[in-house]
Amino acid sequence: MTDVTAVTMKLNGVTRTASAVPPETTLLALLRNQFNLTGAKLGCDVGDCGACTVIVDGNAVNACLMLAAQADGSDVLTIEGLATLERLHPLQKAFEDNASLQCGFCGPGVILSAKALLDENPDPTQQEIRDALSGNLCRCTGYTKMIEAVQVAARALRAKPDA
Amino acid sequence: MKAFDLVIAKDAAHAVTLLAEHGPSARVLAGGTDLLVELKSASRVPRVVLDISRAAELKGIELTDQGLRIGALVTHTELMRFPLIRDLFPALVDAAHSIGAVQTRNLGTLGGNLVTCVPSMDSGPTLVALDALVTITGPGGRRQLPLSDFFAGPRKSMLEPEDLLLDIVIPKENLGKPADFQKFGLRKGQALALVNAAASLWVDWERDVCVAPRIALGAVAPTVIRARAAEAYLEGRAITPEALAEAGRIAVAEARPISDFRASADYRRDLIAVLTRRALANAYARATAKRDGEKQ
Repeated sequence: MTDVTAVTMKLNGVTRTASAVPPETTLLALLRNQFNLTGAKLGCDVGDCGACTVIVDGNAVNACLMLAAQADGSDVLTIEGLATLERLHPLQKAFEDNASLQCGFCGPGVILSAKALLDENPDPTQQEIRDALSGNLCRCTGYTKMIEAVQVAARALRAKPDA
Repeated sequence: MKAFDLVIAKDAAHAVTLLAEHGPSARVLAGGTDLLVELKSASRVPRVVLDISRAAELKGIELTDQGLRIGALVTHTELMRFPLIRDLFPALVDAAHSIGAVQTRNLGTLGGNLVTCVPSMDSGPTLVALDALVTITGPGGRRQLPLSDFFAGPRKSMLEPEDLLLDIVIPKENLGKPADFQKFGLRKGQALALVNAAASLWVDWERDVCVAPRIALGAVAPTVIRARAAEAYLEGRAITPEALAEAGRIAVAEARPISDFRASADYRRDLIAVLTRRALANAYARATAKRDGEKQ
């Protein structure tokens, strides 16, 4: 039993260690406060809104519902890991081109939920997209333009899987 | 969240030892989708949280001599994707799919959902309709009991403070038993069930009658319940639309729904009749499809 513990994870492709993490720290708090990755948002903090969605070992999860210690040894992808300096990820590009976000608070979570879907299912139906995004609440834009953007990105990724 | 100590169990035996060591105030952490919400809102948090999520023997799905064993730590997503489950029990896939959203299903575990003993849980009814057993380990060793007896009351299971739920077993004789799960919520995504219902049945095709029907209902009583009178009515009876509707009406009388802000008791009673009938009809349709598939 310890007051603090070290947590090591592969974070956006780079191995990172936080050396003194109190046990009650959520993965979300670790990402935002220790690693300064503020793309994942603190919204409802009870797993309803999806603003804190990140991808852990290939699965979209709510970072507010995971202890940082439980992510030790995992491969974590946040929104900061999607684009390069030169180029947006096709999902980000499609969301931008399609004006799929207004305030943008839900955006990182929505885009990561969509990425987890497309990684597993490159050609989803509209219903499958809706299902994949049902854990991400948007209070301003609505979902129609997001669904369209995911369809556009899916087509782009199928044409150029490495994009 | 207020501070607590986090203790990590290597395996089930270690978890039981740690539970005995830290006493009834320790809380078990599996997927965390319920526990973390509780810890964040609680005015007093437990001194110790016991993380069992790395205990390998609580994971995995496999066929054993006893039947199909599902580890307590299997997530809802893993359950939905597992080929043997998809093949044998599409109703379990539907039930898992109806829980929360993708993010919750990726973290939340089957065992975690069952031990909450929330009356509206979506994992319970189908497993009860398949006569599932639960395996519990504790200081006195291992024991098994029917899942339907595991639910002691709202948010209360038969687990003693030092016990751990190990796995859920669908008995061998029910492998591939045609079943169906129905849920009525106010939305398709992230909605609690106003009522959920599951049914399973075999068909004696020689006589074209129903054999060993099971009906389980959620969100209509303090725990998931069996509608035993409706089952008894159907046993050995020809499966007609009228008989299935009558079974639904009988099931209504066996439930004790409450009125709350989601729905009135009367509305829930109407739902019980409809969902029970649909679950039975779909289970029968699956039985028919299975027979036709076997003929070819």
